[in-house]
Amino acid sequence: MMAPFFKFGMFGEETSLVLAFVIGIGFGFALERAGFGSAKKLVSQFYLNDLAVFKVMFTAIVTAMLGVTYLAWFGLLDLSLVYVTPTYVLPGIVGGLVLGFGFVVGGYCPGTSVAAMATGKIDALVYGAGMLFGTFVFAEIYPLVERFHESTLLGPVTIPQYFNLPYGLVVFAVVAVAIAGFYGASVVERLVAARAKER
Amino acid sequence: MAPATSTAAVEAGRAGLHAVTADRDRAAPYANPYLAGIGLGLVLLAAFVVMGRGLGASGGFNAMVAFLLNTIAPAHARTREWLEGYLIAGTSPLKEWLFFEVIGVFVGALLSGLLARRVHVTIEKGPRISAGTRLALAFGGGALMAFGAALARGCTSGQALTGGSLLSLGSWMTMLMIFAGAYALAWFVRGAWR
Amino acid sequence: MKRRLSTLGVNQRLAMLALVLGLVAVFAAPTGGSRVTLDPKDLAVIVAKEVDHVRVQDLADWIITGRSDYRLIDLRDERSYAEYHIPTAENVPLASLLDRGLARNEKIVLYSDGGIHAAQAWFLLVANGFKGAYTLFGGLDEWKDQILFPRLAEKPTPEEAARDARIREISLHFGGQPQTGAEAAAAPARALPKVDLPAGAPAPRPAAKKRKEGC
Repeated sequence: MMAPFFKFGMFGEETSLVLAFVIGIGFGFALERAGFGSAKKLVSQFYLNDLAVFKVMFTAIVTAMLGVTYLAWFGLLDLSLVYVTPTYVLPGIVGGLVLGFGFVVGGYCPGTSVAAMATGKIDALVYGAGMLFGTFVFAEIYPLVERFHESTLLGPVTIPQYFNLPYGLVVFAVVAVAIAGFYGASVVERLVAARAKER
Repeated sequence: MAPATSTAAVEAGRAGLHAVTADRDRAAPYANPYLAGIGLGLVLLAAFVVMGRGLGASGGFNAMVAFLLNTIAPAHARTREWLEGYLIAGTSPLKEWLFFEVIGVFVGALLSGLLARRVHVTIEKGPRISAGTRLALAFGGGALMAFGAALARGCTSGQALTGGSLLSLGSWMTMLMIFAGAYALAWFVRGAWR
Repeated sequence: MKRRLSTLGVNQRLAMLALVLGLVAVFAAPTGGSRVTLDPKDLAVIVAKEVDHVRVQDLADWIITGRSDYRLIDLRDERSYAEYHIPTAENVPLASLLDRGLARNEKIVLYSDGGIHAAQAWFLLVANGFKGAYTLFGGLDEWKDQILFPRLAEKPTPEEAARDARIREISLHFGGQPQTGAEAAAAPARALPKVDLPAGAPAPRPAAKKRKEGC
């Protein structure tokens, strides 16, 4: 039995859509459990008083990364068949910045906005409408940004490939950085809380 | 079990139950972020194993826009080069993996919210601005996000989570820039949140 | 207080677990490396059952009906390929087979002149985890023999006639020359048809827009 199951033809497109729904349920459940259905909690990350966004995101990354690494190592998952988004350097950087702006202005990211809509947040609904509008505008002006959007393509390159490092070493580095980050995060939270009390 | 121990057990049980129900009534009781993160990571892993792809969100919105545009103005929609991937003849734009996934996100979050009694209709905003301002900012923020996600080919779910766990170079760069951009702008929009 | 301590404990335990897993992962080789794994018993079964073979008649059918769910690989050198190759075949010399970006879940049909190189290439792919490798049974020789220059019965019975008509049709489709018994025995014509059909490679890859797989 080889994973990814879909790529080895174990089921068809229709089933994959049902599975998308099921996987989405898990996704939404985890998001809401973490409190990401609340703009205030999400934005607290950027005012340093609640770094849950960082903790959840990096824990998820580490978990999935370790899972993928071990499954591929034991020959259960064919990593070459897992889709890696190609790296476009400039659009990735600029797009990331704009994403960050939108995050702190709107209070959500696309996934969490849906979770928030489900728990009744009207602002998330309006945010979603804004997203549709923004996407529409992008589609309209695409010819203007097309050249930029298609520039600086490096292909689906991974960090181990780019820096010519062993895959496992990078995995360990990410785990180490994440744990250091979690420790740092709790220190920062405590400092900020202490300072807030002083005021 | 000796009588003393069983009484202690009952007491512990009662205290635990009280803690859980008391938690439920508080406004901001959330799961341990690390446990929630592990849960999220396992869902992501499941997507890799089952589908060979990761999670995402902005793609679902793209599909929705393609669908709406195609319904309202199909001729115009066909000229939108960027939406080409969603407007394949003979199949609905909504037959998109990410769209179904996003619907699932809604349902899953609703489920969790109901279980934790966190579902109520409200407008989340900082204390110093009005609801109207908040909604305007939400709309603007959403539009910005959509633009950024289109440029970066993903959002926090697609690039940071998915690409990050696969060690994609571009994804890590985008993830860093998302945090950088948010922190950079945070001070300027603090009026909206604090 | 007690509850907070135990929660801290959970986090620290998770951190330790992550650290251990991360350390062990240093030695991981998730992208396969150069080790080759094969189960000899599985291999013996596959070879005995001949499930890895594709008959030339089936291949001819697939080409005629325009199936595009497989890749046909010609393992010979460039010159032979240029002289004649089975339509829709791509030319991939054996040495660069693994560098060609063939996916492990694709259906790959290999052929060479006879079958030895194809068999060796098949072995190479299977040993590297390719699940969809097949050999064209009899290779190009069989293709020429059965498809391009089939020998038809001199005086066919009604059933044979129907079958022969089909064989003739297929042969002509590929520019071949069906021959009846007498001619064949006398002077087997073996002029290979000119290959003006487009070479396999990038063209067959569906230009049809595929749904994006990203975010």
